[in-house]
Amino acid sequence: MKKITVKDFYQEKKEDFSLSVVTTPKTLKNTISSQYLNRPGLVISGFFDRFAYRRIQILGETEISFMQTFDDGALYDRLREILMYGIPCFIVTKGLSVPKQMEYLADEMNIAILSSRLTTDRLYLALRKYLEKVFAPTKSMHGTLVDVYGVGVMLTGKSGIGKSEAALDLVERGHRLITDDVVKLRLNDETVLGMPSNDYGHFMEIRGVGLIDVEKMFGIQAVRKKKRVGVQVELMPWSDNMDYERIGLTGNLVDILGIKIPIVYLPVSPGKNVSVIIEVIALNHILKIYGYDAAQEYAQRLQQELAKKAQKRSHIIKQEI
Amino acid sequence: MIRKRITITNPLGLHARPATMLVKLATKFRSEFHIRKDDMVINGKSIMGVMTLAAEYGSELEIIADGVDETFLINEITELFQTNFGE
Repeated sequence: MKKITVKDFYQEKKEDFSLSVVTTPKTLKNTISSQYLNRPGLVISGFFDRFAYRRIQILGETEISFMQTFDDGALYDRLREILMYGIPCFIVTKGLSVPKQMEYLADEMNIAILSSRLTTDRLYLALRKYLEKVFAPTKSMHGTLVDVYGVGVMLTGKSGIGKSEAALDLVERGHRLITDDVVKLRLNDETVLGMPSNDYGHFMEIRGVGLIDVEKMFGIQAVRKKKRVGVQVELMPWSDNMDYERIGLTGNLVDILGIKIPIVYLPVSPGKNVSVIIEVIALNHILKIYGYDAAQEYAQRLQQELAKKAQKRSHIIKQEI
Repeated sequence: MIRKRITITNPLGLHARPATMLVKLATKFRSEFHIRKDDMVINGKSIMGVMTLAAEYGSELEIIADGVDETFLINEITELFQTNFGE
């Protein structure tokens, strides 16, 4: 289970969400372990069933004005009860101020209160998006990710099969490198995003040469920071026992972070121009997205011809009888 | 060299799926493999070739194998036709 501290969150997002800390800095040590948010109106009113206390609690105008209707003593007791649950932090929106007792209690019980100048609605949306990203499932994969005609092509295969060389060839042909060797993958809605695992830049190892800097060598148009993975191409040495795709009627799929991605098993042999085939794979993928499947189209035309010829044949036989 | 005459008995004819099965089986053998339909002769290990035959239900083909494992090839290909490609 992923966790971030309130402090990390605050430092990363203080500008984007125009945040400031209301309580003392020592309260920032708590951890956030849920990607969801809660508006604690009901618990302030005294209904504690199903209180989602592990979530960040958002205090908007409604909650703040509701608290103002309480007697000082009653509010103190209620807030104390709420804070006992061990909340990660509160965020007050619109730059509103919280009741004095709340600030005092939060300091005492080490629970941060942050204040945001954004409206509740905007903060809610932005925060949900941010948390979803932070808590999204990720994994690393050995491979090279290249954007070919706008399709994220993930090249995989054994070490030394020629992934980097194929990627270099593609870059030379005007396509864009995302990352070589280690691809960090992150679930993003219903897609898988691929990106470099570090931010050193777009380096690549070419056997016999060493490291090269693709961005320096080919310019900014040859690289990009992240790309949705559209298709995986597994490079493999030619083997007689392997059933390679011949028509492409039954597409193979591979599971990456729970998302099904088309995979092409591509036999490579010396002298074979892999980059042209990868371009073709990308273009065929685009055609399929646009609803044209060459394999299906051909098979359909063949089937129609077969049916026509079979009918004609039965006709002739009948006539002969 | 072995030659054998075969009639297509599956109602849909030699469409994409059986053509793929046929080619995949044929490529497992080392012998040369050709298929003749009327005056057209194609390489039986090429998918485009097999589909170009457009061999419909009831049409007759001649399968021709030449090489060290020609007998096995002909036997297995014949069986594939006789079982109607599992259709």
